[in-house]
Amino acid sequence: MAMLEVTNMGHNFGGLRAVDEFNLSIDPGQVVGLIGPNGAGKTTIFNLISGIYCPTDGEVTFDGQNITGMRPNEIASLGLARTFQEMRLWRHMTVLDHIMMARYSKFTYGLIGAFFGTPKRIREEAEAKEMSYEYLKLFGVDQYADDYVTNLPYGAQRRVEMARALVTEPKVLFLDEPTVGMTPEELDDMIEVIRGVHERFSLAIFLIEHRLKVVRELCQQVKCLNFGQVLSEGTPEEVQDDPKVIEAYLGDTKAVV
Amino acid sequence: MNVDILVQNIFNALQFGSFYAIIALGYSMVYSILMLFNFAHGDIFMTGTYIALGVATVLLGWALPTWVVLPMTILLAMALTSVIGMVVERVGYRPLRDAPRASAAITGLMIGIMLETGVLALVGGQKVAFPELIKTETIHLGQITLTNIKVMIVVASLVMMAGMHQFVKRTKWGMAMRAMAYDFPVVPLMGVPINNIARLTFGMGSGLAAVAGIMFGLAYPILNPYMGIVYGWKAFVAAILGGRGSIMGACIAGYMLGFIEVFVTMIASSVPWMSPSWRDLISYSIILGILVFRPHGLFGESYSAKLRL
Amino acid sequence: MKVPESIKTVFAAIRRQVTGAPLMSWLFGVLVAVALEYVVGYPLARALGLPKVPALFGLTLMLKQPLLIPSALLYTTIIYVLPVGLIAKFSDVLGNAIAARLLKLPFVVTVMVHLGMLYLVFHLWTGVSDYRLVTLKFMLIAILLTLSLNLINGYMGEFSCSHPGFMALGAYTASMFTIGLFTDNRLLGEAVFHSPLLGYALFPLMLLIGGAVASFGALIIAIPSFKTRGDYLAIISLAFLFIVKSLIENLEFMGGPRGLSGQPDWATLPMVFSITVAGVWIMNNFVTSTMGKGLNAVRDDESAAEAMTVDTRAVKMRCFLFGAFWAGVAGGLYAHVIRYISPADFGLTKLAEILAMVYFGGLNSIWGSIVGAVGISALSEVLRPLQMLKWLCIPLLLILVMIYRPRGLVSFKEFNLRKMLSPRRTKV
Repeated sequence: MAMLEVTNMGHNFGGLRAVDEFNLSIDPGQVVGLIGPNGAGKTTIFNLISGIYCPTDGEVTFDGQNITGMRPNEIASLGLARTFQEMRLWRHMTVLDHIMMARYSKFTYGLIGAFFGTPKRIREEAEAKEMSYEYLKLFGVDQYADDYVTNLPYGAQRRVEMARALVTEPKVLFLDEPTVGMTPEELDDMIEVIRGVHERFSLAIFLIEHRLKVVRELCQQVKCLNFGQVLSEGTPEEVQDDPKVIEAYLGDTKAVV
Repeated sequence: MNVDILVQNIFNALQFGSFYAIIALGYSMVYSILMLFNFAHGDIFMTGTYIALGVATVLLGWALPTWVVLPMTILLAMALTSVIGMVVERVGYRPLRDAPRASAAITGLMIGIMLETGVLALVGGQKVAFPELIKTETIHLGQITLTNIKVMIVVASLVMMAGMHQFVKRTKWGMAMRAMAYDFPVVPLMGVPINNIARLTFGMGSGLAAVAGIMFGLAYPILNPYMGIVYGWKAFVAAILGGRGSIMGACIAGYMLGFIEVFVTMIASSVPWMSPSWRDLISYSIILGILVFRPHGLFGESYSAKLRL
Repeated sequence: MKVPESIKTVFAAIRRQVTGAPLMSWLFGVLVAVALEYVVGYPLARALGLPKVPALFGLTLMLKQPLLIPSALLYTTIIYVLPVGLIAKFSDVLGNAIAARLLKLPFVVTVMVHLGMLYLVFHLWTGVSDYRLVTLKFMLIAILLTLSLNLINGYMGEFSCSHPGFMALGAYTASMFTIGLFTDNRLLGEAVFHSPLLGYALFPLMLLIGGAVASFGALIIAIPSFKTRGDYLAIISLAFLFIVKSLIENLEFMGGPRGLSGQPDWATLPMVFSITVAGVWIMNNFVTSTMGKGLNAVRDDESAAEAMTVDTRAVKMRCFLFGAFWAGVAGGLYAHVIRYISPADFGLTKLAEILAMVYFGGLNSIWGSIVGAVGISALSEVLRPLQMLKWLCIPLLLILVMIYRPRGLVSFKEFNLRKMLSPRRTKV
């Protein structure tokens, strides 16, 4: 049985069928890509699996546990982390706070600890801080630890976001267009970062991407989505050459020629 | 329970409802375009009433007949109060358009306190009588007795609200307001002067509040500077009950609040173990109950806006 | 606005003279000043032609009787400015040495020594006039109130309007206990316990119960409110405020609209001081923990917070109940300082006052809350001679603050106790 198993998932927004009959299975360590034109429903699928929306039908199991309709923070605590297309960093918090915040569910000191600064709290916070610095170093942003995120360059913000997702110690990582708005150099860096993360933490990754280069370099398997339905799936090369996919991206080529 | 009392209470409710509805309209109009509550609005209503009082007193002092004084009072009071509304917009809201919404709420609140203090300083804290611009007459319809003022207030308010509705629906200004309510950031890109629209909205809301103030003065000719707080906040609650930013909702909820208050008082005074002072307790509990089940009010759409910090 | 160069240099010189002094020296200087006033204040004031010891550094007096401005200035200079300045200047070496020595001991000792000195300052300062005592107590209570509302409006970024309601719940609950159990009262009957000492000892417990009742009230609001986002809380909490107020008005056994009086005089300065300090300490602990910073995450981006395992619903609920708790405690204290409460005390005016303190001082900041609470209460005392015009000045000031600093004067500033108390120069 795969680690993450999505069966026949579907979702309606009012009368609109945003996602239909979506199936997915991700094994530990596997990298799966999800491509498709704008508005195809890619981010909706992320939101459905990570609990921001509740699927209208179908079922999501993670590690043998049914997580359909659970709250996002519960799902995240189980080991399913994600990033956002628009990053969603916290404007008024420092980089270090971002990383420590993602350890939230691991703290056990409770309200008493929060109110009175018990030794347990001090110990746990110190551990979390140490671990956070480790992750910041790993992503090369430790020099920004005490800065507000809004003052960081774009690439560094992306790295902070990635570090924040990883410090929750996920088993599978969802990346929503991690290279959006990046220059070619930043793009190559990002590919290296993702590859490094994948190897170091032996993660499974589920990736939304527009740039085929990223998909080709990283993914073993790709799904192409259009109007909420899977058009094509297979290795990156197979999907890339599928006429249905080309048509979805470029329109009816015959009409042009 | 006889029919006479029932009908009288219905008209009382309609009359109070008219005040609430017209003031609530001002709150809602501003909210719909700026996503902000103009917390000074209750005090603008109060100031409008006092301006009308001042204008009427001066005009009556020139020995003009009441049929001249009344329309002139209405016009002048509306104009002057609109100016106050526009000043409030310019001073308290425009500089804060990019600030957290809560900060703008605080400036509104503070401007309200300043208006209140200003009126207090000018006329003192004692109650003042509003001149009788319309001779009160009693109308008999079978067993039912009504005063002409009540009927006039209800009719005039309905006419005003209908006019407002047409304005927002038909004119280009109204269209711009609706566009701002729908998608604020895009509207200036379409060449709509948002500052003018915001000013217009504040001005119109304040003008309406002045009319509500005059009607209030005619119906309850004893004024004090705290009426702005009392009725303003109630109208604010009505605006919310109607659904934030919904003009129609504000009117209907205003009347609803009038009915709830009048009938709760009526029932509470006829039940032996209750007293009329339970009015606020029961009516706010009813409103709270409604809001728990309809979080966006009666006619509101769901906004996902959060206080920006 | 351009500041003349000469004034700048003077200020810079003054700054250079005194920045070397640690907090220790400053406190010591103030302590000497208030002790001086305690001993020679009255004769000096008479000698300078002042009717009595100027209560608030002569500021009120200056507004009331402009002719006395020179004397008042002179008095303040002799009693406060000179001793504080000189001692801060010349005791910096000693102060730094003591501060450094203290820091070698457990940190608690340093904090306790400073707090002890601060209390002594307050004690001597208020020993001169009862007016000062009451003003200071209200200021301390205002700090609790402001900070607890800042938790909700600043740290969490919602807009709550029900703080006076929570205060009322706490005030009435605590009063019911103190009046009902320990005094003979027309409304609540004879005393159950006849030992005021026992009552005084149990007073903090009663305040806690008051706070707990306020929290319970908050729970009623929180359950429907935090399901929906947006400014829903503002509205529900406003309705709640009206309901609490009219509920108390209609409860005859608690005095109804006439209010409840005869609270025993247990809110003494040590009591108010220690509870305020405890409150600030606990709230500061809360907001600096990662659990408390969850509030900021929820405020800045709720979806992201959820995706990072933060239980947003619990975070919001806890914060709201916690804020309400301290508002309730502050309400209980307030009732026992003023010793007469009526529902009219807990209306929209109070709300406007607390909101003004929060937004004036600064959001998301302990310092801000202290500045806001002390600033607004001091202003409203100092401007008392202006009578009604006071209510034009304070709102105007607040509007200006909002326009130029929309998040308040000292927003987003962390409260770093260790840095504050440590010596300024390392060469000792």
